[in-house]
Amino acid sequence: MSRLTASMCGLALTSAALINPAMAQEDPAKKTQTAKTFWGVSTEKLEYRYSDSDEELAVIEGDAYYGTDELKFRWLFEGEWEEAHNAWETLENQFVAQVPVDDFWDAKAGIRVDTPEGPDRVYGVLGLTGLAPYWFEIDTNLYVSDEGDASADFEAEYELLITNYWILSATFESLLAFSEDTEIGVGQGLNSTEVGLRLSYDVIGRSFSPYVGVVHERKYGDTADLARDSGGSTEDWFAVVGARLSF
Amino acid sequence: MKKRMLAALFGGLVSMAVTAAEYDISVDRVQIDTGDFVKEGIGYNGASPGPILRFKEGEEVTINVTNNLDEMTSIHWHGLILPFEQDGVPGISFPGIKPGETFTYQFPIVQAGTYWFHSHSGFQEPNGAYGAIVIEPEGREPFRYDREYVVQLTDKHPHSGDRIMRNLKMSADYYNRQQQTVGDFFAESGEKGFMAALQDRMMWGDMRMMKADIEDVQGFTGLINGKGPEQNWTGLFEPGERIRLRFINSSAMTYFDVRIPGLEMTVVQADGNNVQPVNVDEFRIGVAETYDVIVRIKDEKAYTIFAESMGRSGYARGTLAPEEGMTAEVPELREAPLLTMADMAGHMDHGGMDHGDMSSDDMADMNRDDTGGDDMAGMDHSAMGHGSMDEGDGASMPEDPFYAKGSGLVPTASNGGKFLSYADLKAQNPLYEHREATREIELRLTGNMERYEWSINGIKYEDADPIVLQYGERVRFKFVNETMMTHPMHLHGMWSILDVGEGKWNPLKHVISVAPATTVYMETEVDAPGEWAFHCHLSYHAASGMFRKIVVEGGPDSTVAEGKQNGTPGGES
Amino acid sequence: MNQILKNALLPAMLLAISSGTYAAGEHGGHHGSDSVGEPGKAENVSRTIDVTMMDNYYEPESISVKPGETIRFRVSNEGALVHEFNIGTAEMHEAHQEEMQMMVEHGVLKGDHIDREMMEMDMGNGHSMKHDDPNSVLMEPGETREIIWTFAEATDLEFACNVPGHYQAGMYGDIDFE
Repeated sequence: MSRLTASMCGLALTSAALINPAMAQEDPAKKTQTAKTFWGVSTEKLEYRYSDSDEELAVIEGDAYYGTDELKFRWLFEGEWEEAHNAWETLENQFVAQVPVDDFWDAKAGIRVDTPEGPDRVYGVLGLTGLAPYWFEIDTNLYVSDEGDASADFEAEYELLITNYWILSATFESLLAFSEDTEIGVGQGLNSTEVGLRLSYDVIGRSFSPYVGVVHERKYGDTADLARDSGGSTEDWFAVVGARLSF
Repeated sequence: MKKRMLAALFGGLVSMAVTAAEYDISVDRVQIDTGDFVKEGIGYNGASPGPILRFKEGEEVTINVTNNLDEMTSIHWHGLILPFEQDGVPGISFPGIKPGETFTYQFPIVQAGTYWFHSHSGFQEPNGAYGAIVIEPEGREPFRYDREYVVQLTDKHPHSGDRIMRNLKMSADYYNRQQQTVGDFFAESGEKGFMAALQDRMMWGDMRMMKADIEDVQGFTGLINGKGPEQNWTGLFEPGERIRLRFINSSAMTYFDVRIPGLEMTVVQADGNNVQPVNVDEFRIGVAETYDVIVRIKDEKAYTIFAESMGRSGYARGTLAPEEGMTAEVPELREAPLLTMADMAGHMDHGGMDHGDMSSDDMADMNRDDTGGDDMAGMDHSAMGHGSMDEGDGASMPEDPFYAKGSGLVPTASNGGKFLSYADLKAQNPLYEHREATREIELRLTGNMERYEWSINGIKYEDADPIVLQYGERVRFKFVNETMMTHPMHLHGMWSILDVGEGKWNPLKHVISVAPATTVYMETEVDAPGEWAFHCHLSYHAASGMFRKIVVEGGPDSTVAEGKQNGTPGGES
Repeated sequence: MNQILKNALLPAMLLAISSGTYAAGEHGGHHGSDSVGEPGKAENVSRTIDVTMMDNYYEPESISVKPGETIRFRVSNEGALVHEFNIGTAEMHEAHQEEMQMMVEHGVLKGDHIDREMMEMDMGNGHSMKHDDPNSVLMEPGETREIIWTFAEATDLEFACNVPGHYQAGMYGDIDFE
């Protein structure tokens, strides 16, 4: 008798467990009372750069996303337009799916398509993005190209609030290759670093924030050699002026 | 708008005359002019706020709501006790009102006092779809007044509700313009030394939490009855009169600290229910709460009604004056409060966080006293010392049992006088016989500030089962706020009896505000069958998941078949 | 008011409560107890006025008397809360409310209950929180009591309940002189 009761309870529990997800779908208020999908478009950088060697660049870096708390699809884009050559020196587009893995961290996976002047590359991307202690925004990715070369990048940003509208943001980016890909000017080891300091002012909410700043770019090792060989510079200081946009 | 008629109804052995009243409300696109900006919004009968609906206790009301929008709408009668099909929550009470459709609400008025109504669809409420309800009691009020005004507060924002939600999801601090700056850091190091200031910053930075995280959505204009500070809503009076002010906080997100410099206020009602009168100089009104106060004005001069937001990022202002055009001084906003480690205590214990390099002594201090509600006020709020973190503040810290000990949010009256506390609220005339609760349900208020995700017991509404209650039971809800935000929790359809430690005198409310790192108890006599909504009344918290459906099984005329619902009994535990 | 200040004030307040001839008599200023009148004798009573205490109002809300008249007030508390019936000027009531506030803060007065034992308690210096002034009665729900009062010359008088908040909520009435 008690056995029967127990097995009936078990059955009831199992069926409840099975039905519950279905029931969860059935509560129509979950649709009417919650906001589920979101989108956003922003450009972290939209700037004009003028180097100490009179080089002129237009730089854009931003992203657009659509998704839920649990899953976002993100398109990240980055490009450097070189005034002298009238060409994209770099142009990359990433399409990634992003999921939370921790209170503060998201994992990303997807593809990256580079279509600058010169040879194209397609990469598989695995990345991690989030907020580290002490308010450092971190973004780091591992790439494997269609040529079989692996590389990684690391970006960190810290925003210092001079006031609640004047913001000084410090950025650090570095690129690292595990094997060389001379065709696109990549040597093995640490490729390059970019350090930037930008002072912005929020003019319209956080949707339009013009800024001025300085950027220091440097290439290392074989990558620097490859750059020198093709007549490029290995170290540049830029004055930058631009705006952060967000919709 | 209002067609009153007398209908004689004969029922059973007794014949009784029931007044019936009929109202027509249209839901319209409107322009909202705050004085600071003009914004397209949603209103009722062509205006935002909508009309004041005046009901009479004991009557049967019929309200025809016509949807002139091109989207679904609904009206929820906030705080009213009514059949659940009339409660106006799309997906729970009814399907909602389609564009072009007229929906007829019909329900008896079984209570008196000050309430309000608002849309429960999308972000129509923050976009302007709200109005006031005043219910005249059958008997005499337990207080006297010569005239009355509704003072309906809101936090009108230049952005639409959808945009605000989206921006908060993009960046939780999108609207926070009170963050600690470099200047603040130097001011702080001037006060308590560079190392101490640095250590403090490091501690908060380590947790990735902000002291200044009190108001999620700043940049609003505070309105009183639809008028911005410059437009100065004015209520007229004759010197010597007693005036009843019916304060309603219809904000999407903003708590207000309300005062009328030069006048003492006597609080006589909270959330529509009469309370034993309390004289105060100032009170804090949580989102969706109402407080009725009486002021007696002897002098022939103007007085400012000043409602500062809890985080001091904005204010609403109105005037009481003997004649139109007279004004009184408008005070400056006081300095913005900052959260302390005490407000973080709930989060630290349960958030599963890495506590970094904080010393073990600090941690020992932060352990919450979780032994249960054995203390007088029925609370077991954080018993945290603030030791090395808030040196010098300790002795002079104001206290209120409904805030964590050492909390930065404890309010003080600007004139040094009496600030209303929940602990002061005692029912004037208890509605229910006092009895032991039949069971307790713990609801942890949880969230992820950085992602702007809000939940109950760590589960968002979309992933949650309903909370199932049995008709006839008295449930004791234990709210444990593990976040650093204050949450005004609103139960539809049944009264929330706030445990202030006064037994049968515990007051009846419809919104229970739970401060960071505190535990607050409320009890509910489960006397309303059907399905009800239960949620944080901060619009963007509710919409991001701090919401539950409550199912009451059994009871008379139950339209919810037993067994049809699959939530676990008690739901959350 | 912070705890320290409150504690410091307590003895002072007790002194005020128990040493005044009439509740708040000391604070009445020029509307002193003389113009308020004085406890009357049963043989002088010209009529009886029934006053009902409700939550939180009186029935009736005004009474009229003649200068020099002695009246028996038969006061019954039909409310659910503790109420007071106190004859005095508005200023006297205001002062008395502060004293009653102390009684609430020290737990002597609770919604529907008066802790008479605590009220009688000797606070160690011969003072207590007694509330036994002849111009006033403090009553629990269900109680009925009488005050015999001889009014003096016409002056602005009110009967009032000084339980904190009650006066402000409107629990007072005018005493009109015919």
